[in-house]
Amino acid sequence: MGNIEEKISALYDGELNDQEIDEVLLMIEKDSNLQEKISKYGLLTSAMKHQNKNIQSITSKRKKPNFNFWLSNSITAAAAVIITFFSINQFDLNRMGEDPSAKNQINIAINSKEAKDIAKRAEENLVDHVMHIINNSQNDSVTPYNIDLRNVGYTRLGPDSRTYNKGNKNFTLHIENKNLGINKLRNWRYKDKMIYVVPLQDGRVLTLYGNIDQNSALEIANSIKIK
Amino acid sequence: MKKNSTNEDSLLIKKAQAGNEGAFNFLMNKYYPRVYASLYSFTKSKEDSEDLAQQTFIKVWQQIKSFRGESAFFTWMYRIAINLAKNHFVSSSYKKDKINVSTSDFDIDIPSYTNPEQDLIHDEALNNIKQYIDRLPETLKTAFTLRESDGKSYEEISLITDTPIGTVRSRIFRARENILTYISEDL
Repeated sequence: MGNIEEKISALYDGELNDQEIDEVLLMIEKDSNLQEKISKYGLLTSAMKHQNKNIQSITSKRKKPNFNFWLSNSITAAAAVIITFFSINQFDLNRMGEDPSAKNQINIAINSKEAKDIAKRAEENLVDHVMHIINNSQNDSVTPYNIDLRNVGYTRLGPDSRTYNKGNKNFTLHIENKNLGINKLRNWRYKDKMIYVVPLQDGRVLTLYGNIDQNSALEIANSIKIK
Repeated sequence: MKKNSTNEDSLLIKKAQAGNEGAFNFLMNKYYPRVYASLYSFTKSKEDSEDLAQQTFIKVWQQIKSFRGESAFFTWMYRIAINLAKNHFVSSSYKKDKINVSTSDFDIDIPSYTNPEQDLIHDEALNNIKQYIDRLPETLKTAFTLRESDGKSYEEISLITDTPIGTVRSRIFRARENILTYISEDL
């Protein structure tokens, strides 16, 4: 066991080659204790990072000031987030007194192309969409489309309802004009219900949330004719 | 090759980008505590931090192919986490319901950290990390600190301490294990 744990420690530090990585990943795949080991190492790093101002570097000759790291860390982290807000709103950052290294890290994050790509997608992404559907599942308001699913055996609960059922299958249906960047069905589980997000041919997105299986969701998606 | 925070995960990231869930799970386990701690510093809520950390890793998995290594992996994740934290406070819908969305199409188990070690993030015990490090034998302390605090690669530590790389690797591992033992003894 010691050998594999030592290898995990080395992989944690990025010190294994490609073949060794595959071997370690295979060994820890079904061993929750080994997976937990990674998290524990991560916890130590987290503590070190948060306290690094308090730990004297062995190679550094410069004496660093001693201060309460928890307080400073909280301020730094809060400032880091505030920096993001304030950057967006074009406030004066210089008044924040934030940790320069944290500010630099955030600036790198804000200015990197990857971060911009993510930020661009952040407004409309799958997780946000799915969470919105779940959070608003009780709101069975009028659907803007007259979707008739009787051709595939589903009955609408009422003329203005989003809810459809067939036997023990029931779900709410949403069609929205959103670009979620998907080109095939995606599905999630929330408690005992499923959420299916399906891109329609006309560019809209169909979302079904309820007790249905994937084949039924695809059947419904293929049957939809938007009037 | 010199390893730094930008490229130390490059092989794991490459594997995760190719769809290797084991590699992604490793990265997630490695960085969850730091992401969680960052979120906790902001939200001051264990529950919110857990929700946001889970959402962060779902997004990381969804978008990992877009990561091109122009910044450190953690920096990239941190940005995602910050976006989520921002939305958390802006969107009232996040406050209505705290959910754990599992991505069945990815079949990634987002870990739920309810064990005592994880609670250390909130705990005063972490204030004592330096105390735990100081309790290490000198050789272990040197290797561990050069790695974790100074970000040195094993090769660099080997040169600095005039020790074979295999010994460096062993010392860092034993340092980690010793510290975890000290912490568990204090719990």
